[in-house]
Amino acid sequence: MLAEIGLTALFLTFVAAIYAIIAAVYGGRNHADQWVKSARNASLLTFPLLLTAAGVLWIALLSGQYQISYVWAVSSPSTPTFYRLTALWGSQEGSILFWSLLMSLFSAAALLLNWRSHRRLMPYVIAYMMATLAFFVGLSLFLENPFERYWLLPGNEVAQTALIPAGAIAPEPERLAATAQGLNPLLRHFGMIIHPPMLYLGFVGFVIPFAFAMAALASGDLSTNWIKATRRWTLVAWLFLSLGLLLGGRWAYDVLGWGGYWGWDPVENAAFLPWLIGTAFLHSVMIQEKRGMLKTWNMFLVIGTFSAVIFGTFATRSGLIDSVHSFARSQIGFPMFFFWAIVTVISVGLILWRWNRGELKDDHQFANILSRESLFVLNNLIFVVLFVAIFWGSFGAPIVSELFFDTNITLGTDYFMRVTPPLFLALYILMGIAPLSAWGATSLRRLGKSLLIPLALTAILLVILLIDGMRGVGALVGYGIVSLAGFVALYEIYRGAAARHSSLNENWFRAITALFGRNKRRYGGYIVHLGITIIGIGVIGSTLFQQETQQTLAKGESLSIGGYEMRYDDFTPAIADDGRTMQIADVTVMRGGQEIANLRPRIDVYPSNPMTIAGSYSTLENDFYVLLVGWEELSHATATFKVYINPLINLVWWGGLILILGTFIAAWPMELLPISVREQVRNDRRVGAKA
Amino acid sequence: MRTLTVRRGMMYHAPAIMAILLVLVFAFPVAAQTVTDDDVNAIAKKMYCPVCENIPLDVCPTQACADWRGEIRQQLESGSTEQQIIDGFVARYGERVIGTPQDPFLRALSLLTPWLIGGIGALAVLIMLARWRRSGDLRPAPAVSGVRILSDDDYRLRLETDLKERR
Repeated sequence: MLAEIGLTALFLTFVAAIYAIIAAVYGGRNHADQWVKSARNASLLTFPLLLTAAGVLWIALLSGQYQISYVWAVSSPSTPTFYRLTALWGSQEGSILFWSLLMSLFSAAALLLNWRSHRRLMPYVIAYMMATLAFFVGLSLFLENPFERYWLLPGNEVAQTALIPAGAIAPEPERLAATAQGLNPLLRHFGMIIHPPMLYLGFVGFVIPFAFAMAALASGDLSTNWIKATRRWTLVAWLFLSLGLLLGGRWAYDVLGWGGYWGWDPVENAAFLPWLIGTAFLHSVMIQEKRGMLKTWNMFLVIGTFSAVIFGTFATRSGLIDSVHSFARSQIGFPMFFFWAIVTVISVGLILWRWNRGELKDDHQFANILSRESLFVLNNLIFVVLFVAIFWGSFGAPIVSELFFDTNITLGTDYFMRVTPPLFLALYILMGIAPLSAWGATSLRRLGKSLLIPLALTAILLVILLIDGMRGVGALVGYGIVSLAGFVALYEIYRGAAARHSSLNENWFRAITALFGRNKRRYGGYIVHLGITIIGIGVIGSTLFQQETQQTLAKGESLSIGGYEMRYDDFTPAIADDGRTMQIADVTVMRGGQEIANLRPRIDVYPSNPMTIAGSYSTLENDFYVLLVGWEELSHATATFKVYINPLINLVWWGGLILILGTFIAAWPMELLPISVREQVRNDRRVGAKA
Repeated sequence: MRTLTVRRGMMYHAPAIMAILLVLVFAFPVAAQTVTDDDVNAIAKKMYCPVCENIPLDVCPTQACADWRGEIRQQLESGSTEQQIIDGFVARYGERVIGTPQDPFLRALSLLTPWLIGGIGALAVLIMLARWRRSGDLRPAPAVSGVRILSDDDYRLRLETDLKERR
């Protein structure tokens, strides 16, 4: 019965989405408001319908309905309740349903919040949002149905279908429960509870700006309306995507046993690509808002972001490139590729059509290379080159090599570490200079004057690092450039607060909070820059100064690395409640002769594959990170350990939190403008209305 | 007498024994050199086993990867260089086992393409900026949606003025 309810809800969602597309396009083209309203209602209906479908699957997971093949594949009687809930996105069919649910949630919110203010765009916004939703719901319904069940056919054959085949009976529940597979071991981690939802929220969030941009192109309303409507949506999507990437990094660090947080894995990169283009858009959209420039370029960036989202989803789920995320592979590659290609071709075609008609002409042109808009264009260029470099390394080169040279290649960390660092450093340089430049034009002298204090602070920092013994040119250059960007952000905040402190006699706390309250976007942006700076310091430290060693120790023996000592104390094999066997080593970490931590690195062995769980002792200075690599069977007299010292790695997580905080500030809906500006806006509107 | 014979025998055999010892002295450091796990991992780090999808060989926990690491150790112990070991694996399993292609053409294609595309992009931006400058349009930005654009400095000045008034 549960499966029937879910199936019906899914089918009705598909029908509602298709109806909404037809009604919206018809209503939009014929100015038939009733049809547009009907399309809106059908769109809104998709959310409760998908919530029902997802709710049914959750109930099936929680109550162990193993006749449903998805439940059988991702849970077992020993799966804890907690992981039964997260199993909704633990495999292909469930994750596509979850993707659709979040998509319908975003669509409903976008419709409710923008219905009155952007009525002209709405028919086409509905059409594009529902077209995307219908595609994913269609995948669920026809190719990756999460409500398929196992049936015993006459002749004792087993079938897996959504509808009951003739003469079929349900298999015995006990037999199904006994053979149920359980959740992929890699997904049994706290990070996996929120990492995929955050990533999906980021992905589906970018559908909204895309739908508004396409609506602007389709309707011919090419003013800044679509940008005003979507700027905050873009920030929200970017926030979730950033959070998803950070949590993914943390999950990899804890569970995958690489000793790091970013392995340049193609699926990691697939999630990073929309982030890069989305970040470029967040910057360049300011130029269109402030100066009425880069209209065509912004359209390309929005479409590029959405296209990267769909491509990333396609690459992740089609098995296009082999990866650790291969749990999500299936036969949906071709339909997804087709959808991605169609969407991209139509979007680009629409842009070129409008551009050819002269409707995307800029209101103003660049005057000076040192203007903020020119520096933002350079920033965009670097983001796009980074995108190209990472896309090429992850997908382009392996595909080209296989297609044209009949050779399978892998571009690993070595490639990415050669190509990306100069580009990232160039971005940090611009992050330091651009905030100090002005719209229109900036003189070199004025820019130099503004940079004086941040440069002096950077020089002091470098001298301290030199005195401390740092000699690596790469590290010094890296730290210098990254910290300059951070000092500029701090200095700008200080200047704003100091102005209030001196002119209004406000205390520093009041001055800073009031400053942020009055211009959330600007100062939220500085906090984001600060977060990126701290991440950069963490990345440089943990990449250039990482130490590692692998040694075999007898019980009681120690190894030394990076000022630490580690002693192998004991070994404990164990069996967990969920059936996995655990091989646990007990080690003691010492520093300066003092015991500072007892760690238990272990290997969990599941029937399908082993998992290496690190033991870690964290300080702000570094992480002592130990992996159990091997051991002497039976006696456990010796064990082999791989130990990493990861300097400043925790700054990556702390910087991430600061980045999230800054994005929250920038995206917060209440913008308090100065009184005179508000009055001026009101007056301008009145004049406009009278005219 | 017998002792003398032995001594004489030793004298006769001494050059041969010395030669054998010399050969052993020079030959053994290669054959018996100590290979640490770190030596193995330094090479394994650059490689990928075709089974374990994008996990570097030095950290992959599967038996297949452990066997490959064992093979690297054996080859190091027998005196092979890093490049010889990598070339051997590439010859047997293809370019996919290494993080950067060994084939000179594929290597150049992989490493240069992004810079080539980046260079073309940079050139396009430079031409675009130069054209814009030549057009000499230095008018102030027109109003967007009826709101005059304020520069950040204007904004800050007004902010302070407003706040003073509010007090």
